[in-house]
Amino acid sequence: MSGELPMYPSEKPEHPYVLDSYAGRILNTYSSRFCAGCGYGIIGQIYTRVFEDLKLDPNLHPLVIGIGCYSQILLLVHADAQKVLALHGRAPAVATGMKMANPNMKPIVFSGDGDCLGIGGNHFIHLCRRNLDCVIFIFNNSIYGMTGGQGAPTTLFGAKSSTTPYTMFENRSDGIKLALAAGATHVARTTVAHPRTFMKYFKKALKHKGTSVIEIVTPCVTYFGRKNVDSLGAEYLGLEGKKMDTGGKMVDWIKRNSVRINQAKFMTEEELFNKYIIGEFRYESDKPEYSEEYARIQKIAMGDK
Amino acid sequence: MNNQNGKRFLKPGRHLMMGNEAMAEGAISAGLRFFGGYPITPSTEVIEHLAKRLPQVGGVCMQMEDELASINSVMGASLVGAKAMTATSGPGLSLMVETISMAANLEIPFVFCDVQRCGPGTGSVTDPHHNDLGLVRFSGNGEFEVIALAPMNCQELFDLTITAFNYAETYRCPVFILSDAYLGHLHEVVDIPPKEEILNKVIKREVPPSEEISPRVFSYLDKVKNEYVIPKPPIMGTEYVPGMFLHTPHGPEGILSPDPFRFVQTMVDKIKTNKDKICLTENYKLDDAEIVIIAYGLPVRVSYRAIEIAREEGIKVGAFRLITVWPFPDEQVKEVVKNAKAVIVPELNYTGIIAEQVERVTPLGTPIIKVPQVAVFHHPDDILKAIREVAQ
Ligand SMILES: Cc1ncc(C[n+]2csc(CCOP(=O)(O)OP(=O)(O)O)c2C)c(N)n1
Ligand code: SF4
Repeated sequence: MSGELPMYPSEKPEHPYVLDSYAGRILNTYSSRFCAGCGYGIIGQIYTRVFEDLKLDPNLHPLVIGIGCYSQILLLVHADAQKVLALHGRAPAVATGMKMANPNMKPIVFSGDGDCLGIGGNHFIHLCRRNLDCVIFIFNNSIYGMTGGQGAPTTLFGAKSSTTPYTMFENRSDGIKLALAAGATHVARTTVAHPRTFMKYFKKALKHKGTSVIEIVTPCVTYFGRKNVDSLGAEYLGLEGKKMDTGGKMVDWIKRNSVRINQAKFMTEEELFNKYIIGEFRYESDKPEYSEEYARIQKIAMGDK
Repeated sequence: MNNQNGKRFLKPGRHLMMGNEAMAEGAISAGLRFFGGYPITPSTEVIEHLAKRLPQVGGVCMQMEDELASINSVMGASLVGAKAMTATSGPGLSLMVETISMAANLEIPFVFCDVQRCGPGTGSVTDPHHNDLGLVRFSGNGEFEVIALAPMNCQELFDLTITAFNYAETYRCPVFILSDAYLGHLHEVVDIPPKEEILNKVIKREVPPSEEISPRVFSYLDKVKNEYVIPKPPIMGTEYVPGMFLHTPHGPEGILSPDPFRFVQTMVDKIKTNKDKICLTENYKLDDAEIVIIAYGLPVRVSYRAIEIAREEGIKVGAFRLITVWPFPDEQVKEVVKNAKAVIVPELNYTGIIAEQVERVTPLGTPIIKVPQVAVFHHPDDILKAIREVAQ
């Protein structure tokens, strides 16, 4: 990020929530710094929308943002939100410190697939294990966008990226399975093509007591879309891929490549290969939450059990 | 140590304590609310002691998944207004430097206890070795200044930890306490001052009164007075916060700065221009000394003993002790070594990290004798030998 502020065309948008965003209200630019067709704009807008609709208390919902293209969402989120940019992968740990030092808070963490499942995988696992009361979003664009399109742990089999020029051959890491195994109590996946579902999950997460993990599949047109075709790894089905070099085509592909959780139950592993299973995977509201448990420990330590 | 029944302040008077515990108690007295750590010899007793004590006083002690998480949770806690600390040893410090650099950039105050052990690599875990200072003063990418304090006994581990927290609040930079494997495990009597005395010293973390709240929450140069203003640390969850915490060059309001030069200058000079207040030193029999010993940490104690013996032999030798090792007190050292016949620098490392600094300010021609030692105490004889040699 250089010292210059974004200078995209900046006509006043029709959308009312844009005016509540940091860029809109403070910088008067009504624009984002994302590529045309990127999904992060949608996510930023939805965040602002939920923030405004629910009149969230900014003092209680600090926003901890990791490092990736999505860091720029901080310009799109609600102007009142208190935000801190954490280091690459370390946002869950920062949120843990916040929550424990001020248990009234419910931090919201933004992280990318590389951020959360690559460099910060360990923190993510332990956040889920503790069931610390917070919401963590994983923006899964299947690529490292910010550094210029390298392979991520989530890159789909057969995809090309700048560090997998001969196509990706590694096993893919699945944030949802990881979260489930690690013990998060609210786990869901959705995509930017399903914004209403995303809003529903987000609102539910805000009411949940415990770790909410919400993965959002989002397109990176510039580094994923332009380099790949939409048959991705499904060539064995005799598919011939089409280009995905615009946001629309990618969102289309994301829709086609997503399978609802209840449908997925009846599909074979082979059929689910390289697909995104979307839906709510777990919701358990009665599991012990870390900061509450710690308060109990404090009482024991103070001698009044 | 006996159980303190949930009191933040120990009973005034004499307590027998292990060094690591004295440091932990100093931190609690200073108002520590959050400790995030990961066990590593020889610092482990700090987290063990705090795991017991912090919940008693309503604080939180968390064993994190690794050092990266420890220091980042400490950052998080400090951001929401809790006095926070971590403790580790060399390998842990190596992992934490990225975050230390970020904290320096955002001027998030915290205290860092480094119980140094013999390196490099995993090294030898229960032996002392003052080998981290080089890493401490350049801890992380970017340019910024840190403060490092070097206690030499358990009493100072208690007292200087309180000072360290005050420095962190005042100067908003990473503040290190340089302990080591021997000092951390030493058992000594610590004289705990009465509660009121401690409370008088401690600088509280609080939101300034609303009429004083200004959007300038990060340090800046007051051009009229030509001095750096270091505002109180902002607290997330209150109205005293910047629009965003960006760890990129930023101005006093936290907004991206078009002038990275000015930003870096502020980070460095806010400490350098306050050196006279930050640099704590101690003179020992220096008035008539011809030979000057410059030392910090445990070797100071050995030096004092060597000086006593040498004085009995009629050699005029004294010591200048660095309590604040970093920033290095250039001016004071310059003054002390100006007329010295020779300077002796006993250090618990081979390279002579501070000796290099001494060299920088000593007149050409004045011999500087390093007395290096690794993984064990100096014997007074080691230092005496150097004294006798230059006295002839
Ligand atoms: C310690 C460290 N290593 C590497 C980087 C460089 N880096 C910045 S963002 C990024 C990838 C982010 O990818 P992802 O989390 O998937 O987010 P996206 O850019 O795709 O939105 C990398 C490797 C860094 N900032 N810090
Ligand atoms: S590189 Fe990809 S993720 Fe980054 S802004 Fe562009 S489209 Fe979005």
